[in-house]
Amino acid sequence: GVFAHLEMLEAQAHEAAVKQEETEQQEEKIARLKARVEELRVQRDELQAKVDLQEKLQLGKEGVVSNPAQASTRDVLGWKIKSLKSMLHIFYLTGISGKLTKRGVCFCISTAYEGTYMDSYHLDLLIKPQVEIHRHSVPVFIPLEQLAKKYLQTDIRRFLSVLSDHLNAYVGRRYQADQLQEHFSDQIEGTLQRNSLCNLLVFNYKVSSKSKTFLFNVRLRYGDLCCSLPTEVIVSSTSDAPTSLAELAAAHSELFRRVALHKAFCCKPGLQHPEP
Amino acid sequence: MDETVAEYIRRTVLKIPRHEIKTVLQKWGFLSEAQLQTVNFHQTKEKVSQEVVQLCEENLADIKQAAALDIIYNHTYPNKRMWSVYQMNKTGEETDFFDLTDFKKKIKRRLRSALKNVTISFREYEDNAIWIRVAWGTPYTRPNQYKTSYVVYHSQTPYVFISVSVFKSNLPLLCQALVVASSYHDIREMELRSHSLDSLKDIVFKRYSQNFQTYYPRPLQERNVAPEIVDARIVEENKREKERIQRLNQEAFGDGPQPKLEFAQYKLETMFKSDPKMDVLNKKEPFRCLVKFSSPHLLESLRSLAPAGIADAPLSPLLTCIPQKARNYFKIREKKGLFPGSFVSP
Repeated sequence: GVFAHLEMLEAQAHEAAVKQEETEQQEEKIARLKARVEELRVQRDELQAKVDLQEKLQLGKEGVVSNPAQASTRDVLGWKIKSLKSMLHIFYLTGISGKLTKRGVCFCISTAYEGTYMDSYHLDLLIKPQVEIHRHSVPVFIPLEQLAKKYLQTDIRRFLSVLSDHLNAYVGRRYQADQLQEHFSDQIEGTLQRNSLCNLLVFNYKVSSKSKTFLFNVRLRYGDLCCSLPTEVIVSSTSDAPTSLAELAAAHSELFRRVALHKAFCCKPGLQHPEP
Repeated sequence: MDETVAEYIRRTVLKIPRHEIKTVLQKWGFLSEAQLQTVNFHQTKEKVSQEVVQLCEENLADIKQAAALDIIYNHTYPNKRMWSVYQMNKTGEETDFFDLTDFKKKIKRRLRSALKNVTISFREYEDNAIWIRVAWGTPYTRPNQYKTSYVVYHSQTPYVFISVSVFKSNLPLLCQALVVASSYHDIREMELRSHSLDSLKDIVFKRYSQNFQTYYPRPLQERNVAPEIVDARIVEENKREKERIQRLNQEAFGDGPQPKLEFAQYKLETMFKSDPKMDVLNKKEPFRCLVKFSSPHLLESLRSLAPAGIADAPLSPLLTCIPQKARNYFKIREKKGLFPGSFVSP
């Protein structure tokens, strides 16, 4: 009946209440124990610190003064390490840095062009019985063996300097060719013919005159591998171009000899604008 | 369109995995985008290849275009072929102004002057790689498009990568043409072979990871770190040994991925060193033996030997010198001299 049902509900409620009280007690107990653990830990740390201090005092002869003195030596050491690291970083930024190894030296040549750092190349040198290259990461088309034969034994500074010039000039030429292909592809007709060293570039580019577009062919030859500007420039127009363009061709030829390729294409008037 | 050309194009298309056929055809550029739209690339390859041939018929494809498609196929899937590396030498010190047009002309001239019946195709890629495909004929027969040699050359480098199908009889002619066209004096085959063309390039162009000591803090590379067991009650007994192995491994292999080689072969011609009392061999002849290590990725597996506990660290320099010496075929002979030992012949 109803009363039986009510009794049953009452019993259930009672059970639930008991259970809840149990869990609450349990949780309280755990919280208390945790707090106790914390307390004990703090105590332990304090005691440990006291022990350490005692030991230090016994080692140090100045008594209580030893502590601040030790702190400052640590600071000094930290500062020395920091300044050394900065020094090494500066050396790295200059372009040629080195580190002594077990059997010799390992040099790092970092290249840059127009204010941007480019690739870094490494040379692992042995110094005994004579100076020789053990390993390296210099690209295979850079004439490393030739330079080593000439300078490595006699003047290592010169060797590094010349090698650095080669590498810097190479990344500079490569950068110009890449920029040209990336940003001025609309002005170039066909493909840009280049090679690994980027010391010969041949391509056709558009020139407009009297609202007609003509093609100029340019052949850039970089005779000096330590230089990122060409030594020889030949700009020629196609056969159907008017003779008035010959002057423009000569002007462009002069321009390419003096100015980096991507800059020449970017800022020079007369390249795409009609000439009167 | 020539029957042989049609068949050749059909067979080339069949080699391509079905889901990549469209991409390769787009790279080829011979069929227009509109034409490609008309092909259902989800049907069987047989049907796809037939439809492609049909379109090529409309465009009047000739052997040149078919050869171009073949180069593109091989450039997209270079690891299907076995590549050998050849090294050229020159004595002069003049700067090389490599002119691509000139190079191509010289190759064609040299090959055609010796053998009229050849199909020669070139294709240049962004990384200065020049691919050359030569299909060989005989003085009396047309070039056999299935008898091809592929050459990959990077200008102004002394290395040439050659893959030959079937016969090697035309190899000397090919090598000669390359030497003349690239302004070198002679050429020899290196002891370096693999299916992975890029890995061969990495090895000879020194593009693989070498561990150079520098002060410059290299950017930390993400490495697979197993979740650290933070429980202080667990102590690693051989932590030092693990670190030692790690350090030696890093010195030997560097940090980055290794070039992919499939095998290293060591031919031993050394004397069998046994107890004289055992008298194993009556004759004092070198013990001939061939040891070959094979793996889908040999150098990575060598790198994992010591950390896995299978081998002692440091590994034998005979194994770790492979990328630096740029060879995976070695001959080990007896060292002639006071101290019997073994040395690696060049």
